[in-house]
Amino acid sequence: MAQKSQAAANVENPIHIMPTSHLSTEINKTGSWRYLRPRYAEKTAPCSAACPAGEDIGKIEMLTTQGLFKEAWETILRENPFPGVCGRVCFHPCESVCNRSEFDDPIAIHIVERFLADTAERNDLKPLLERLPSRPEKVAIAGAGPSGLAAAWFLSRLGYSCDVFESAPEAGGILHWGIPLYRLPLPALQREITQIEAQGIRIHTGKPVTTDLLTELKSGYQAVYLACGHGKTTELRVPGEALAGVKDGLDFLAGIRKGQTPDCQGTSAVIGGGNTAVDVARSIVRLGGKAVILYRRRRQDMPAFGDEVQMALEEGVELVELVAPAKIESENGSCRVILRKMKVAGEDGTRARVEPDGDKTSEVVVDRLFKATGAEAAEGWYGPPAASSSLLTLSHCALVKKDGGPVTMYGGDVTNDIKSVVHAVASGKQAAMALDTLLREGPDAILPKLTACQVGSGPSLSMEIYMGGERRLRNPHVVAYKEINTDYFRYSARMSQPRLVREERIRSFAEIDLRVSGNIAMRETERCFNCGLCNQCDNCHLFCPDMSVIHDQSAQGRHINYDYCKGCGLCVVECPRNAMTLEEENR
Amino acid sequence: MEIELTEKEFMHPGHVGCPGCGAAIAMRFVLKALGEKMMMVLPACCWSVIAGPYPTTTLKIPVIHSAFETGGATASGVRAALDMKGDTDTTVVTWAGDGGTFDIGFQALSGAVERNENFIYVCYDNEAYMNTGIQRSSSTPYGAWTTTTPGKDWKKMRKKNIVEALAAHRIPYAATASISHPEDLIRKVQKAKSIKGSRFLHIFASCPTGWKIPSEMAVKIARMAVQTNIFPLYEVEDGLHYTINLKPKRFPVREYFKIQGRFQHLKDEDLDVIQKMVDEDWELLLRKAGEHA
Amino acid sequence: MRHVLEGSQAVAEAVRLARVQVVSAYPITPQTHIVEILSDYCATGKMNAKFLRVESEHSCMAALIGAQSAGVRTFTATSGQGLALMHELLHWAAGARLPIVMAEVNRALAPGWNIWVDQTDTLAQRDTGWIQFYCEDSQEVVDTTLQAYKLAESVNLPVMVVLDAFFLSHTYEPVDVPDQDEADRFLPPYKARFQLDVKNPCSFGPLVPPAVYMEMRHDMAAAMETALTNFAEIEDEYAGIFGRRYGAVEAIACDDAEIVFVTSGTITSTARLVLESLRGRGEKFGILKIKLFRPFPVNEIRAALGKAKKIAVIDRNFSFGASGIFAQEVRAALCNVPIHPAVFGYIAGIGGRDVTPEVLEEIYWKTKNLDSPERESVWIGLQEVRHGN
Repeated sequence: MAQKSQAAANVENPIHIMPTSHLSTEINKTGSWRYLRPRYAEKTAPCSAACPAGEDIGKIEMLTTQGLFKEAWETILRENPFPGVCGRVCFHPCESVCNRSEFDDPIAIHIVERFLADTAERNDLKPLLERLPSRPEKVAIAGAGPSGLAAAWFLSRLGYSCDVFESAPEAGGILHWGIPLYRLPLPALQREITQIEAQGIRIHTGKPVTTDLLTELKSGYQAVYLACGHGKTTELRVPGEALAGVKDGLDFLAGIRKGQTPDCQGTSAVIGGGNTAVDVARSIVRLGGKAVILYRRRRQDMPAFGDEVQMALEEGVELVELVAPAKIESENGSCRVILRKMKVAGEDGTRARVEPDGDKTSEVVVDRLFKATGAEAAEGWYGPPAASSSLLTLSHCALVKKDGGPVTMYGGDVTNDIKSVVHAVASGKQAAMALDTLLREGPDAILPKLTACQVGSGPSLSMEIYMGGERRLRNPHVVAYKEINTDYFRYSARMSQPRLVREERIRSFAEIDLRVSGNIAMRETERCFNCGLCNQCDNCHLFCPDMSVIHDQSAQGRHINYDYCKGCGLCVVECPRNAMTLEEENR
Repeated sequence: MEIELTEKEFMHPGHVGCPGCGAAIAMRFVLKALGEKMMMVLPACCWSVIAGPYPTTTLKIPVIHSAFETGGATASGVRAALDMKGDTDTTVVTWAGDGGTFDIGFQALSGAVERNENFIYVCYDNEAYMNTGIQRSSSTPYGAWTTTTPGKDWKKMRKKNIVEALAAHRIPYAATASISHPEDLIRKVQKAKSIKGSRFLHIFASCPTGWKIPSEMAVKIARMAVQTNIFPLYEVEDGLHYTINLKPKRFPVREYFKIQGRFQHLKDEDLDVIQKMVDEDWELLLRKAGEHA
Repeated sequence: MRHVLEGSQAVAEAVRLARVQVVSAYPITPQTHIVEILSDYCATGKMNAKFLRVESEHSCMAALIGAQSAGVRTFTATSGQGLALMHELLHWAAGARLPIVMAEVNRALAPGWNIWVDQTDTLAQRDTGWIQFYCEDSQEVVDTTLQAYKLAESVNLPVMVVLDAFFLSHTYEPVDVPDQDEADRFLPPYKARFQLDVKNPCSFGPLVPPAVYMEMRHDMAAAMETALTNFAEIEDEYAGIFGRRYGAVEAIACDDAEIVFVTSGTITSTARLVLESLRGRGEKFGILKIKLFRPFPVNEIRAALGKAKKIAVIDRNFSFGASGIFAQEVRAALCNVPIHPAVFGYIAGIGGRDVTPEVLEEIYWKTKNLDSPERESVWIGLQEVRHGN
């Protein structure tokens, strides 16, 4: 119509309709052509879903690349109060699912995590985290290990007043007593415990949780979280186990942490294949002894971290595979260990299933023998009672609520299938969320609420989602490698962890893994695909043929102008990180 | 991507380019790289339509539409007029398709660059007469279906090497660029802007409609053309000095051909022939760049 | 100042006086003298203009379209094949409403190659939207070229100033060339109604849908009509300064004439001689010289021819399958006048053949001796051509 009237008006004046155009094509709303609709939809990175603590790893790496170390560190703290600990001792399941490993090598996530904790330590950073208004309820926590402390950390952020009771003279549980200093130096642990205390959490050490104390707590607190851990070494159940030369691996490690220098002269055998076994063996080496690990499966089946095993062997630890102790005998102050030969009889999950290889045996004579085949709860009542109607069993904790009584929760090693630090943190977090939901909204709300806080398809949970942070907007879809536009990434090798050389290692308990610089961490995090996350690369804006990706002041930094977007989908395909989605237009 | 580009847009939305139009992307990059002191000559091509019907205009710069074969000549006139008016800093740009450049406009282009007219000639190449409905041009690659090379009559001739033809005129600057490599493209536009005389940019601008690919693949396919050496990124200065800007891993051409509807009829042996041609061209380019014996 | 100039140089002098800023041309006989002189003027600084030495007439007109759109005064000259090659862009220049001025030296179209005068080249472009002037002598060429700019710029339509090959382009005559000051007084510096401007970006010549295209064409038609009245005013102004006037048509001794020749170009000068001779013998003979062919001055032609008994149109051109083109136009102009003279059409001088006074007298007597035209077109002076075998 506009065209018509303009032309008509000009008929009067014979030299005025010039074929020149001045008006914008914006009158043509090409959005009506669209049958596919792009939108921003941040998704879930596989690493974050695989992290039992649900750390927002993609974002942590992104912030690190941008040099926002404090923000990156705080992003960890939202989900895990122990970046310095986990950066060192976590078995980092995140790295084994990293999409980058299909491209070249996975991101060194744990090294970056440790770097961020180191940076916080060096600059004495104080985290600035969200905290809900104070609640009237008080919570008592039994056990100042990673699960108890994590529960206290999260509950305190949710507004609860917390008291932690610990039998040992120092807080930290296995972190303090069970992990050698060359893997986890004391200051790194203490700094994070202090940080937890700084939230107003009271840790009462030297206060063993007895049935009496429990009864007392149940009257003074609205909830009790039992996170007493697996502190007792599992029995070998073989003849001769009680001989003087047979020692408890965990006690040995704790003794060293207490300042003792146990006698390790000669050869020591260590029974087991987990991290404790390796830690014991390597500590023996550092104390001047020779260590032989006796393991019933093969090296590749050992639950201990492969890196640790590798370093142990480098340090001179000997590994004997496919042997199980059958009998221990005393011989001139030494131990003769009769070993039953084992053979592989199939697969048991990812490990070999073994069985005795007929009657074959062998024997070793050692100066002493350490048991390190696993641990269990010191008291039966540390774990949840048998199923009852008032018991709610979750993936990492259990709740008991008797009418009128306080809530009792169980978590940590006693409820976790995998006994790791990060699983302990996950359990403390799950307990905190479940309790908070129970108190605020009642028991029926717990499962739906927890489901809503899952990272990906769970069981990892996000406290940021729980507390209403931006992460709740993410699509739980876990991004697959083929969904990454790898055209935007260049091959580059994973960083390597700088370490003490072998000769330095075996001389002392000094930390083996050295610090890395900010530059190296930034270069490493730059490799990260940041799966499913927008890092503001602006490709969507850059490639839009229709000027329909508009920069703005929103958190996203841009929006799509659907008046003109034709739904070509270029923005979605050219998004390197799959932070956009193309869906059918509903009109 | 590290690109210094003005936030300012020199195009209005609401244009009638097909969804995923590579030519629209190319235009957007070039305008942003050049800024507002420019005038554009627009011979007949898809952009004659995309630029908007009377009384509207997609472009926020002065544009003169011109007859199909006149891109080089009309720009010569605009440049001459501006020079006579004392305006030497406004950049004159001709924006032509492959038909208007390789075929019907080749004479005027050759004439203009032989005179070393002070302008930038941009050919956005979508490898056929797309505006008229996908007819073969001398830029259409070997093997392609078009509406005038249908069925078994698919094109059996090579694509004309336009940059070499321009380089033969010994113009100060000739370069290839692709919408898939904005960094490189924008740098070349800005470099061209800083040079006086005839400058030629050959921009690979995919056409989802004519190539029979999904619109969201428009940039990806252009990138594949570079990665496979089907469309190498290089510059020629003064017709003598060759610089290859990107040496890709030389992905096999097969993937590129397999995902485009226009090549669906090609058999494995045809693709082998094409691979040979691509390899041959690449070797030739390496030799020109002095990187090969 | 009076100079002895050939027609080509007369064009060049006027272009210089018009302060044209961009000249573009491609060589073609017999236009070459014009562009050689202009090249020299640009090279020596006699003119402050840029000369674009393009690679074809097609590019030449394209370049002028670009230049004129960017807001400067432009000029080109061409002939025959060159004009034919420009054809597409003649439409473009007019449709883009650009006041480009061109000198066209009429040349016959090939094959066979023929460089001599023939009006078919320009008349074949009659529907392109260009104003066309046909000049008789070098003085008229100077004057018309200067006027052409003023007229073109007043209605935003391009103008073709047409000269006969050799008979005018290469013939020396005394010419009064205006001073630059006087020329400037008549023709001030060019001010474009619209031009490419980075400060006012818009798009020129975009896609125009049916809803507007017809109005745009109608607007061009109206501008063509306006050109008729504007030309009269421009001639008045010109005459006021320079004392010369030509008119869209010139009626010579038509008042009492029974037979009137309609002529154009240099044939008019020959007809003037014949007129003297025939009048001397008591023949009631007159001439109507048509200078302005587009827009066609229908009213002036009706007024001048209304009293005559017979009209003889001399066409140095031919529209195959129809007739001489001036004859067609004259017939069309007269046909709606209830009582009008018979129109005889003669084809003469095609391909540069000389149209002598004898040829014109032959036409006169043929016309006088017939009551009505025996054919639409009578070809004068045809010889029997013996083809080789």
